[in-house]
Amino acid sequence: MNFTYFRIDLLRQLRDIGNTAIIIGLPVIMYLVFGSTGGSGDQVVGSANEQFYVMVSMAVYGAAMATTSIAGIAAIERIQGWGRQLALTPMTSTGFVVTKVTVALTYSFFAAGAVFIAGALTGAEGSASVWIRSFLLVWLTSGLFALFGLAIAQLFKSESAVSIATAGLVLLSFLGNLFVPLSGTMLNVARFTPMYGISGLARWPQMHGAIIDNTVASMAEWPHDSLWALILNVLVWALIFGGIATLAVTRSRKRQ
Amino acid sequence: MNTPAIKLTDLHKEFASRSGSGVVKAVDGIDVTINAGEIVAFLGPNGAGKTTTLDMVLGFTEPTQGTVEVLGTSPRKAVSHGHVSAVLQTGGLLHGLTVEETVKLIAGLHKVPERVNDVIERTGLTEIKDRKTQLCSGGEQQRLKFALALLPQPEILVLDEPTAGMDAGARREFWGTMRQEASQGKTIIFATHYLEEAQEFAPRTVLVDGGKIRADRPTDELRTLVGDRVVSATLPGSGAGADGADVDGAGVDGADAGSSYTEATSRIAAVDGVREVRMEGDRVIVEGSASDAVARLLLTDLGASELEVSSPSLESAFFALTQGQEAH
Repeated sequence: MNFTYFRIDLLRQLRDIGNTAIIIGLPVIMYLVFGSTGGSGDQVVGSANEQFYVMVSMAVYGAAMATTSIAGIAAIERIQGWGRQLALTPMTSTGFVVTKVTVALTYSFFAAGAVFIAGALTGAEGSASVWIRSFLLVWLTSGLFALFGLAIAQLFKSESAVSIATAGLVLLSFLGNLFVPLSGTMLNVARFTPMYGISGLARWPQMHGAIIDNTVASMAEWPHDSLWALILNVLVWALIFGGIATLAVTRSRKRQ
Repeated sequence: MNTPAIKLTDLHKEFASRSGSGVVKAVDGIDVTINAGEIVAFLGPNGAGKTTTLDMVLGFTEPTQGTVEVLGTSPRKAVSHGHVSAVLQTGGLLHGLTVEETVKLIAGLHKVPERVNDVIERTGLTEIKDRKTQLCSGGEQQRLKFALALLPQPEILVLDEPTAGMDAGARREFWGTMRQEASQGKTIIFATHYLEEAQEFAPRTVLVDGGKIRADRPTDELRTLVGDRVVSATLPGSGAGADGADVDGAGVDGADAGSSYTEATSRIAAVDGVREVRMEGDRVIVEGSASDAVARLLLTDLGASELEVSSPSLESAFFALTQGQEAH
């Protein structure tokens, strides 16, 4: 971990107005749009209210975009010659990865934090413990999507890879049950997609595995996810993304 | 005995070809020893194996066979201690960073933050230090990479076609900056496919082609071998040259053309530095180092027209050098 590198690189990412607006601004706007339609805030959902639920959903989306984009950009830059420049310095590959992960997690901290602040100002309610645990889960599980960004970048090897990854993220977030409550067959398919696990975990402090289902009348009949199934989802996808990235790197080394 | 700066022994590097089955021999048996303080050019066309060789010197790739020693140790060790640094081919800077930030970032990795200002000044980047790297010209980007290479105060500098894609002005400026560093006794090896760069800058030239060394000799010898210019012109007395003849007023007519050619060629052959004179139709072809004197003679006394002077191509240099090598 090199502090100078961390500081200059983070500043560079934040200065990229277009990217910052999408990653930090867009989830906040989406929360304000979806969250404020949730009524006066007296609707209790699990251990918090409906605004809180929408807030966590959008924070998951924003934090995942942040890590996807930082990791994807880092991989592309490495392929395009920055890796050779770094290889002329004492920085090790491990040092580079640790520094970049720190930058990505700092960025996703800001992305999730912005949505949480918007939530706090506009009626999201829950106990202090639910707030803190939810935030930590949103923030840390976003690390999975650093692997996703890495895998896509290694597969496509061009600057458009990051756009492909962030566009794909919209679809995955939909399947991750972040935008509209899914039910029936759709929900059963969605359970196997990569955003689903981290969304379920991020909502755990509030929902304890319960899934909002507007097709049934009472909350008691809502479907449930078990904690181990959500954790398994995250672990399996971490292996898949990590595996793809590693394979692609090995393949390109051989052909160099 | 002093430890050589760089010692390559029986160096080979093979890649699987892109099509799949075959093997590409990028480097096919290179032996070369470079002593401390030497400035050596690796001259060769694209795909000659120059970059692959330098990549092994920098420890970016491992040789398939043979050994690389840099200052008596492994390339990776020499690089991570900052004893060796490099200016790589175009590309490879981070977008969105300014020139100064880029220098600071790399200085941070080498743990020499105090050298930032000095290096920026020495490479003439002071005026553009707040410019974003992607807005810098090709020449400015290469100067920035040169600045990065100077940060660890390396004993050996490796330059991989540092001026590729630059115009003549930018190239001259780059080598001007480079020259100051060279005068401080650094060992410098650079890859280039510009003959002039090797001639101007390196006392020793290693000619590489097809992954092998074709010649390794003092650049002075190379200069005498390939310093010739070729001058060609149309002599008066034929259709194409008739206008020139009229202006001159020599009044050579067609019937006398043969004898006037003989007279002209013998006058040209008498010029100091002319090695060969021959006629191809009504064109006279002159090879040698006295291109200016020959051109003057042709255009004034001999009334020639359509004069062309060409410098030797890399191909002809190769030819001359490899022929020379075989003759030894």
